[in-house]
Amino acid sequence: MTKALQPAAFALTCVMVLAGCAGKSEQNAADQVGGDPSLPKARNFLLPPMQVPRFVGWKEGATPTVAQGLRIEKIAGDLKHPRQLLTLPNGDVLVVEANGPGEEAVTTPKQLIAGMVKNTSGKGAKGGDRITLLRKTGTGEWEKHTYIEHLHSPFGVQLIGSTLYVANTDAIVTFPYTEGATRVDAPGTEFTDLPSTVNHHWTKALQANGDGSKLYVGVGSNSNITENGMEVEYRRANVLEVDVASRGSRIYASGIRNPTGLQWDATTNTLWAIANERDEIGNDLVPDYMTSVKEGAFYGWPYSYYGQHVDTRVKPQRPDMVQKAISPDYALGSHVAALGFLLSRQNALPAQYQNGAFVSEHGSWDRSPLSGYAVVFVPFQDGKPAGKPQTLVSGFYSRDEKELYGAPVGVVFDKEGALLIADDVGDAVWRVTAASP
Amino acid sequence: MKHPAPRRSAVANAVYALLNPIPFGFFVAALIFDGVYAKTGTILWAKGAAWLITLGLLLAIVPRLVNLTQVWITSRRFGSSADHIDFWLNVVAIVAAILNALVHTRDAYGIMPAGLWLSIVTVLLTAIGHVLIAVHYSTVREIAHD
Repeated sequence: MTKALQPAAFALTCVMVLAGCAGKSEQNAADQVGGDPSLPKARNFLLPPMQVPRFVGWKEGATPTVAQGLRIEKIAGDLKHPRQLLTLPNGDVLVVEANGPGEEAVTTPKQLIAGMVKNTSGKGAKGGDRITLLRKTGTGEWEKHTYIEHLHSPFGVQLIGSTLYVANTDAIVTFPYTEGATRVDAPGTEFTDLPSTVNHHWTKALQANGDGSKLYVGVGSNSNITENGMEVEYRRANVLEVDVASRGSRIYASGIRNPTGLQWDATTNTLWAIANERDEIGNDLVPDYMTSVKEGAFYGWPYSYYGQHVDTRVKPQRPDMVQKAISPDYALGSHVAALGFLLSRQNALPAQYQNGAFVSEHGSWDRSPLSGYAVVFVPFQDGKPAGKPQTLVSGFYSRDEKELYGAPVGVVFDKEGALLIADDVGDAVWRVTAASP
Repeated sequence: MKHPAPRRSAVANAVYALLNPIPFGFFVAALIFDGVYAKTGTILWAKGAAWLITLGLLLAIVPRLVNLTQVWITSRRFGSSADHIDFWLNVVAIVAAILNALVHTRDAYGIMPAGLWLSIVTVLLTAIGHVLIAVHYSTVREIAHD
């Protein structure tokens, strides 16, 4: 290298150092769960924190790790991106297999690169666009039947009476339900349409209320933080309430960036949601959360987070909206990517897992070290979260955080009260029971 | 006519003359887009600027390498101080553009105001380089005609 080129080399080194300065989280993760998470100052980066383990899948016989007193077994494999689960009255279990519809146009250089990164983790694999039925046989094995095919990126599924409601990314469709059938050949009927431009966040969570008169739909935002323009955010980042009799819908609560799981607490008649919060302003911002959903409430997105912490990336700023924003009930930790949600009064797991919420955390890509990649239990008291989350299932990535085996999504109890977990990276369904019954 | 100094390869000269204006045009367009985005917040302009900066950088690779070779190796003995200043102005401009490409990966208005400032720096430095070279070789030609 000639002498004259040395300043150029120096300048380049400076750029690389600057670009790599995002660094690791210095926050104690335990300070970011519960009712009052500590929030550091928001930062802008040249390169935001990013850490993506490489997909390798489960080796033969390998399983996730469970907490003491629990046992885990695989009840189904070779699925196509299993995401959500539903236990039917006769004990059969529906497995919704899907991934994003891939309809989002590439409109920035960043999206090109982000797509490649996502694919290395196995989270970008093609979904089955179908529902598989699992049935336990006399010998304890689980049979696999292809139940419904040719869906369009389905996610939520609910049974009301003899009608099965499936939330595709663009519409709720219905199918006639016959108990004991292992296949539905009747074509789906469109019940009501759902917001489906862009579908940046494509999942449509679905939950019926106690008497089956309403369906609640979790509709995610069309961007991280309005970078696709406000016009595509019409009716996004909210929970819609669909009246089952009239099929009409209205916004039940808004400003929830990506409500990926909904549950109905029948004892208090309250709707609950888990939500994924915004990215790229730090390893420890913003914690994903679990909250009771108050009718008509505004939870901040995009203008603010966790109540009235203003996000400066939104233009124009809306102080009037920030003033309306309320805080969610319970923080789950930053970037854990909560994707599966289940409230349970009673189940067949040990005593410490009764009465509370099970949340499966799909795992981070924009945090270092990794967070999530676990199923946790949050104990409830008097219908409200009380206490820290306890990890039930983990071990979805290698100790050095380089390799990814699986990632938990939908959680449900089967008829015997065992916890079933859909794993959309390992393409399996896991069953967790008490070690000694 | 003794000047301009004979640069070694006509091919290199032609490649340089063809490709060198392109990144400058892209960076000027990016500056305009950034200005509009800073003012309006309409996201189209920010996305357009992100593409312009990224493509401008990719299209700058070949002409910058040709320039580097000519200024410091093949035409070293004939290189004027204007060539040298132009070279360094471009180095800093490219560094600013690389930083700017990264800033433009931020979401929505997180790009501003850093994105606009870096676009101004990139265009200003490149423009000064162009003017210096133009003025220098005009003077040289006049001397040669005398």
